[in-house]
Amino acid sequence: MAFFILRRVGVMALTALCLTFVVFFLTNLAPNLEKLAKTQGNARMSDAEVISWLDRNGYGGPLVQRYGEWLGVVPGWLREDPVTGEWRGRCLARDQAPEDAPRFCGLLQGDLGYSTVSADEVSNIIGGRLQLTGILMFWAFAVMVPSALLVGVLAGMREGSRLDRSLSTFSIASTATPEYVSGVILIVLLASSQIGLSPLLVEWGWLDGGTLFLGSARSAMDDVTFWNFTLPVLTIALYGMGYIARMTRASMAEVMTAQYIRTARLKGVSFRNIVIKHALRNALIAPFTVIMLQFPWLLTGVVIVETLFNYNGFGWTLVQAASNNDIELLLACSIVAVLVVLVTQLISDIGYVFLNPRIRIT
Amino acid sequence: MNAPTTRARPTSHPAAEMYAREYKAGQLSRREFLVRSTALGLSAAAAYSLIGLKPAMAQRATPSMGGSLRIQQGVLALKDPRTYDWSEMGNVSRGLLEYLVEYNRDGSFSGMLLEGWETNADVTQYTLRVRPGVTWNNGDAFTAEDVAANFTAWCDSTVEGNSMAARMGGLVDADTGQARAGGIVVVDDLTVQINLPTPDITLVPGMADYPAAIQHRDLIGTNPLDHNVGTGAYRFADYQVGISARLERTPDHNYWGNAYLDDVTFIDLGTDPAAWFAAAEAGEFDLTYQTVGEFVDLFSAVGWERSDATTGATLAVRFNQLNAPYDNVEVRRAILEAVDLNVVLELGINGQGTTGENHHVCPIHPEYAELPPMTVDKAAAMARLQAAGHGDTDFTLISLDDGLGRFTCDAVAAQMRDAGMTVTREVLPGSTFWNDWLNYPFSATEWNHRELGVQILNLAYRSGVAWNETAFSNAEFDSLLDQANGIQDADARREVMARLQQIMQEEAVTIVPYWRSLFRHYRPGVVNADMHPKFEINIHHLGLSA
Amino acid sequence: MEPLTWSGDLGPFLNPVLALSAALFAAGFVANFALSLAGLRPGEMVVNADRTLTFRRTPVDLAVAAMKVATLVFVLGVLGYVLGGMILADPLRTGILGGIAARLTPVWLSLALLFGLSIALKRRLGLYGKLFDSPIGMIGLGLVIFWVFSAVFSGMIATHGAISVISGMRNEVPGTPLPSPAEGQYAWYLLGGDALGRDVFSRVIYGAFEVLKIAPLATLFAFMVGITLGLPAGYFGGRLDTIITFLANLVLAFPVILLFYLLVTPEIVAAGIPNYLSMVLFIFPIIFMVVLFNSRFRTDPPRRNLLVGATVILGGLAYLSLISNPSDPELPLLFRLWPEVLDLFDVPGNLLIVFVSVVFVNSPTVFRIVRGIVLDIKTRDYVAAGQTRGEGPWYIMLWEMLPNARGPLIVDFCLRIGYTTILLGTLGFFGLGVSPESPDWGSTINEGRRLLTIYPHPALPPALALMSLVLGLNLLADGLREESLKD
Repeated sequence: MAFFILRRVGVMALTALCLTFVVFFLTNLAPNLEKLAKTQGNARMSDAEVISWLDRNGYGGPLVQRYGEWLGVVPGWLREDPVTGEWRGRCLARDQAPEDAPRFCGLLQGDLGYSTVSADEVSNIIGGRLQLTGILMFWAFAVMVPSALLVGVLAGMREGSRLDRSLSTFSIASTATPEYVSGVILIVLLASSQIGLSPLLVEWGWLDGGTLFLGSARSAMDDVTFWNFTLPVLTIALYGMGYIARMTRASMAEVMTAQYIRTARLKGVSFRNIVIKHALRNALIAPFTVIMLQFPWLLTGVVIVETLFNYNGFGWTLVQAASNNDIELLLACSIVAVLVVLVTQLISDIGYVFLNPRIRIT
Repeated sequence: MNAPTTRARPTSHPAAEMYAREYKAGQLSRREFLVRSTALGLSAAAAYSLIGLKPAMAQRATPSMGGSLRIQQGVLALKDPRTYDWSEMGNVSRGLLEYLVEYNRDGSFSGMLLEGWETNADVTQYTLRVRPGVTWNNGDAFTAEDVAANFTAWCDSTVEGNSMAARMGGLVDADTGQARAGGIVVVDDLTVQINLPTPDITLVPGMADYPAAIQHRDLIGTNPLDHNVGTGAYRFADYQVGISARLERTPDHNYWGNAYLDDVTFIDLGTDPAAWFAAAEAGEFDLTYQTVGEFVDLFSAVGWERSDATTGATLAVRFNQLNAPYDNVEVRRAILEAVDLNVVLELGINGQGTTGENHHVCPIHPEYAELPPMTVDKAAAMARLQAAGHGDTDFTLISLDDGLGRFTCDAVAAQMRDAGMTVTREVLPGSTFWNDWLNYPFSATEWNHRELGVQILNLAYRSGVAWNETAFSNAEFDSLLDQANGIQDADARREVMARLQQIMQEEAVTIVPYWRSLFRHYRPGVVNADMHPKFEINIHHLGLSA
Repeated sequence: MEPLTWSGDLGPFLNPVLALSAALFAAGFVANFALSLAGLRPGEMVVNADRTLTFRRTPVDLAVAAMKVATLVFVLGVLGYVLGGMILADPLRTGILGGIAARLTPVWLSLALLFGLSIALKRRLGLYGKLFDSPIGMIGLGLVIFWVFSAVFSGMIATHGAISVISGMRNEVPGTPLPSPAEGQYAWYLLGGDALGRDVFSRVIYGAFEVLKIAPLATLFAFMVGITLGLPAGYFGGRLDTIITFLANLVLAFPVILLFYLLVTPEIVAAGIPNYLSMVLFIFPIIFMVVLFNSRFRTDPPRRNLLVGATVILGGLAYLSLISNPSDPELPLLFRLWPEVLDLFDVPGNLLIVFVSVVFVNSPTVFRIVRGIVLDIKTRDYVAAGQTRGEGPWYIMLWEMLPNARGPLIVDFCLRIGYTTILLGTLGFFGLGVSPESPDWGSTINEGRRLLTIYPHPALPPALALMSLVLGLNLLADGLREESLKD
């Protein structure tokens, strides 16, 4: 087991290394660097000025060397500005003498670099944003998983029944409605003072002006309430739950046809007891893996929802970093995203082994 | 204690009296009269009294003290103020770094850190009188040295991205790229003299523009976020790019003027107006930076107060004449002839403005000359295009991916297609679009309001100037423009302007489809939050009603 | 011209019918749901003492019967609109619904023909025929085919151009007449105008064409790539398998949205990345076809040479035309070498990048599925038999294993088209879409959502269209899975 985990961690590190290099390569293509120079310097630079700007700001060297600097295996660049005579360097803090600066300052040293758009250290930015997204994900899972399991178990316990048909259709419909459609429809129905439910409630006097739910989750960044967080959570949960529900249904249906369930039925155990005492535990193994693998899949949804509801979490940061070619912030984002994917895969594998005694790893 | 040595502000100026006569004769609009006479140094009250009116602008309400306000506006990374490239940057730092002069909604200028200014008769010498009793929030006194140091810094055209150098005009020595020797003279502690080689009436508008924020004399060239030193009543308490910026009243700072609010937060809600509206309905802010399109009606419908400003802001759908086929004047003429500007106004900006005339001088500009309307004839346009040999050419129209640029260009493209032309649309995100905006063959650029008609012609259509995105180069145009710059009298200038406008139409330099009305909305109870023609938000005026 | 009403002259008759049937259905559904939760079962046949059979009805049966009747009545009501629309022909009398139904006449006719023929011949049509035994599958197929025919006949169905703008029709509500219709022009906007005065109905129909032009084709390419790599990886195993699996996992570990943001930007297009990617990805279909023919006709050299030669020439021509664009001076030299005369077609950079990205994202998943199936059926007897017969590995893989793996692959193909459609919409949502004026549903939803609170009509039709297509694909996949499991 320990060897298995060790090997998986090794593969994970290799994957993360490859992926960050790909991101590094794509963000450091010549046109992207030119864009960076023009947005950071000024939009009317000539080609020669762009090259000199890039050189002065440490984007001049060969790609692999700069990637090494970012990783922290190659000493960070340090040079004297020919115009102002100022020392500038990757590892040089403001007002720091060049001899005091550390030689290496990359990922391995725990330095995530500098975000050009936010004009701040990446490490200052990414932590808070991740926390915000963590809260969003927590509530989304808290809504999604129980309801998906409930729907799946109800549908799967009597395969082919009308209840199964209608719940399955519901699950399919929910997977067929992407976040950008459901979010928009939810806002119209529940968070507009012009149409939908809110004007009706105001008319009936149940609501004194305003809207039932809030169509913007900005205030949830300081203080999560039922009213400002329902719509974003619901939007994520709706799209994700259909898939889990269908997996649960399939697993449940399979278990219900198993020999031991038949035996129990023949012994006269009541249907309710069969479902709760015998079937449920075994039926939940497969959905567990699905739920874990759902994390990375939900990332796209988080990006859409955070953009739609103006919630400045990790997904929003990723969009900002990508659209502004904020290289080091984007690299930090991709590390986090890749880690989420790989760690959840690892957990799902390990968890599967623990939950299912039939599988042994040799 | 003796009163500081202040001289009375001039109540008149020969040129101002001439403008007053023109105004009374109906040759000058009130706005233009105010722009020109206050730029010469008259106080708004004096200017109003010259034309026998009571000052309208001075009627700002007095809000109650205290309270906090949240403003929806982009929060961009700050930098050295002279290199500011968005008015949002000026707005967010205006509570800390103040300006010498403020441009008011009604078109007049009033002194902020300057108590007043005078010019000589031919407008080559400005005497700036520094407001006494102003202190920096680090305790230093604000003096003429500060003003002179800022002027010197503005004139330094070697600084990358310093747009103030262009606004200083003749004060910059073309050879050294620095301030002209003897151009900036500190007369005494409270007086600075500016000596120009040629008459220039645009110096005062330049001092009121958003990159002209006044920094401490020792801190020039720095980012205000790094030091938090300024003359304003507020200071930065928190600044997160793309998310929010909070300013709080500086404790123990003896602010020279009146500021009402305790703290102000700028909230960045991205560029999608739908998100602004959703946030407004969720009660997340009190004042918009700008309200656009259908959202003007929507915000009003939910009970927010509307304020508008008629401006010379527009979107120029322009050709770059260095690129084929737009080097062919017949092609440009054909396109102009095919596009019905009324439709573009309707579809592009929801009819919120007035129709343009394909030249860049707006009817609210004083020197605007009325020309016979241009004809729209789609059949003739197509015939013209075919005669030029470009009947089958595919025109690619590039625009920014925002509501204004996108819809307007879509509408222009549709008009061209109606005439039988082939048009491909290309939409670029802001981070990409602005990097190359001067060089696109056929694209659209948003232009903000300028106080005088000549300002924008100087900025964008003179041969070889930095912002000449059309690559328009016409000797007659340049010499006429020089001539117009030297004519003080709006009527006399109008005759030259008529020809300038005509050249723009004849040469089919650009499509100027409309003049925009700008809108802002605020929650009832917010005071002095009216829309400013140049998008300024002056947080020292803002407050909540008692 | 008068504005159109929703239901016109037919409304007074048909609307109550539809409303009643919907209410009946809802009541039946709720009753059924509540009763089955309460533990009641449908009635069963009971053998009486006198050897007669009695069907004992329970309330559940009643509820189900009500739902069935309601569905039938509803379908008849809708049919009434369709027929009414086709017969009355005048939109003023048929209303918007009838007008739309009338415009969709070619779709209805083709659908009726296809379903009639298919049901008649279903026993001879294999898996496809079996679909008509499953109501779920039939509904799914119906939805998908509806949009396919809408896309095919889009030129006939649409009342106006996808990008033609009419002044005065900006944000107008459904059924608004044109201010000054020209001779022969359809005089109304059936579903209203969008923010630029374009016809929403026509854009939805043309949007179907845009969506169905990219999604299935991209999915097909992803399958070619996935199969070409997955078969040998699963069959041979070893180092080859390790390497390809690692690469596939690499792509899969990339969050899709990040990948798209990195790939679909103007700068990346300018750097020629889509061309490099397509250079790699689009070679796979050719390899696939060549290997396919080669392994099958290895023993028949003339036929083999003919087929392989034709594939190489035609495929190569298409391949080189696709990846190179000699007229674009900004591309890297490599993609400008192909002579202009032989460059059959140029795909615009942003369309190419969207297409390539979608293929790129989907192929690793397909690879994993194929590899899994191959690992499973590698141990079957018929594979061993083939090996003993001395058949080549590629023959076994392509002509013996692949046909046996088709069930799960077809199901996944349907699901994946739906997923790709959603993905394309996501791109539109982030403004990374195909082209700015494209009527594809994702972009239209994104444009319309800004003004949704005042004008819901431009955004809702494409949203519903997208949902119904994806729903149809999911139901179809479900039906196929069920029927293929019955084998």
